[in-house]
Order: sequence, then structure tokens, then C-alpha cells
Amino acid sequence: MKTPCTGEGIARETLIAWKMGRTEAFERIVKATMRQSYAIALGLLGNEPDAKDASQEAYIAAHAARRSFDVDRPFYPWFYRILRNRCLNLLERRSRHPEVSLEAIEHRDETEISPERSHERRETAAMVWRALFSLSPEHREIIVLRNFQELSYREIARVLEISEGTVMSRLFYARRALREALANAGGASHAPGVDAQ
Amino acid sequence: MTCPRFETDGMRYLDGETDSLARAEFERHCEGCADCREQLRQFAELDTMTRRITMKDPTDEFWERYWKSIYRRIERKAAWVLIIAGMTMLVAFALHEAIQSFRVITFEKIAALLVAIGGVLLLISLIRERVHQYRVDPYKDVKR
Repeated sequence: MKTPCTGEGIARETLIAWKMGRTEAFERIVKATMRQSYAIALGLLGNEPDAKDASQEAYIAAHAARRSFDVDRPFYPWFYRILRNRCLNLLERRSRHPEVSLEAIEHRDETEISPERSHERRETAAMVWRALFSLSPEHREIIVLRNFQELSYREIARVLEISEGTVMSRLFYARRALREALANAGGASHAPGVDAQ
Repeated sequence: MTCPRFETDGMRYLDGETDSLARAEFERHCEGCADCREQLRQFAELDTMTRRITMKDPTDEFWERYWKSIYRRIERKAAWVLIIAGMTMLVAFALHEAIQSFRVITFEKIAALLVAIGGVLLLISLIRERVHQYRVDPYKDVKR
């Protein structure tokens, strides 16, 4: 599920109507951004029920706080902070160990490959997904935004309110941590940089 | 040891965030830097592995229910706020009446007193839990 949208296509009129309490405007906003919000929550929390719950709670909290939203600013970075807090709170309630579900992912094969190779790739995908959840939420978040949501550095910098330099640096450390987690979790053959014997 | 250029230029190169000039310049750097070449190979491999994973898109039915569920929860929240506000007003009124005729004990006064005591206990319990959570939270200084 790739949803490279930052919700910035929402018309100012819609945001004004929402601030005034118009439910249909809020419905438009939710429907324009819900796929991305759910996917980000899934990337942070690791399972569908938590992702659904946290993303829905974030919309409810955003609706309650709509008067503090500045309609001249883009909606998604403002909303993202609420979503992120909801996800982090849920992780804290679970002592920062997410319940990771492999049902949440599927494996893409770009070309026709043998069933054995496909099985091996699925296993690797499951290992990468699990390794992702051994990272800190901050590292996982930046990988989710870049690799799964395909946001540009500029978009990531905007939603996380950090500089592009910090995006690069955080990505580097997050990817390095993921590479190490893969080496620790699955044996050398799954970690990039170590050739399978 | 990691070449200091890889953390910034290497990431940009890997993610296609460079213009053609910077791209060519980093490629020239890589020709003379074994560390960057090796890092690039490893990170590119990792990138391929993560890009092969995709999160499942829920069904249309899921998305239909998604908005409706948010709407219902907002509606219910509003209903609860109204109920709690009404209850608070009723209890306040009952306490006021009880104070006015302090010596006469009636069934309604006892009921109102129980609700008030229960409310206060609940509040104290919540405050205590929050204070405890704040004290033991190792991430309280982390800006979210």
C-alpha cells in the first residue's frame, strides 16, 4: 500500500468549513488522508487493529482541536503530530514493544520467479518486517516515511519538523540499525553486506 | 570506518535526491573511495529488500466503515460530554439542596453524596496514576 500523498490537496474552503464544525468537510478531509494515516500507523505499530484504532483516535482528537488549526498552513503536518503522538502513546502502553503481525504485509515480485525463490523472498520480507520493529520508533518512522510512503526528503522534513540534513542523517542511522538488526535476527545470509554461503 | 560523505551524499544518491551534477560528482568520489562503494552496495541491497515489502491495502468495505466509525465515535463522545455535564449539574444541585437543609437526611441526599464521593475518588485515582506515569516515564524529556 503506497499512498504518497501529504494531504496538501485539501482546499482551504474545506478546512475553513471544517473549522466551523461542518461534518461533511471533515468527512472529505478524512477520506483524502485516511489511507496514508492508516499506513503510517501500521508502519509504526505493526498490526491492523492498533493501526486502525490509533489513526481513528487521531482524527477524533484533531476534530476536537480543530480551532487551534491555522487554515493557512497545510493540514497534514499538523495532523501528523497528533497521529504520531497517538501511536507513541499506544507503544508506551505496550512498553514500546509492538505486536507485529505478518498479515499486514505482502511481498512484491517484480518478475516471474520460481516458487522456491518466491518462498525465500517471502521469508526475507517477514524477517525485514520483524527487524523493522526491533528499531526505535524514531528510526522505524523515518524508514516507513521514506521506503513505504515514498515521501521526499522535503516532505519528511515538513511533517517531522526537522531539517533535510537531519532527515538524511536519521535515515542513515536508521538503515544502519536495520541492517544490524537483520544480521542479529536472521543470520548473516539475510543481512546486506554479507553474502549468502 | 564510514566515510563522512556517505551519511549525507550517499543517502541522497541512494534515494535519488540529487541533481545530475551532484550525482556524477558522488560517482566520481566513489571511484576513489572503497568505503563509500561498499556502503552503497550494502545500503542498496537493504533498500531493495524493504521495497519488496508492501503493506496490505484493506478492503473497500474496511474504508467504508472507517469514516462511519470515526463519525459514530465523535457522536458518542459528544453524548457522553452532555451526560457527564448533566450529571455534574444534578449532583451540584443536590449537594446545594443538602447543604440548605443539612439536618434532614433523605434518600436523595445519600444517593447524591455517594455519586459525589465516587466522582472525587475516581478523580484522585486518575491524578495519582498520571503522576506515577509521569515519574516513571523514561521518555518524558523527549520532544514528540
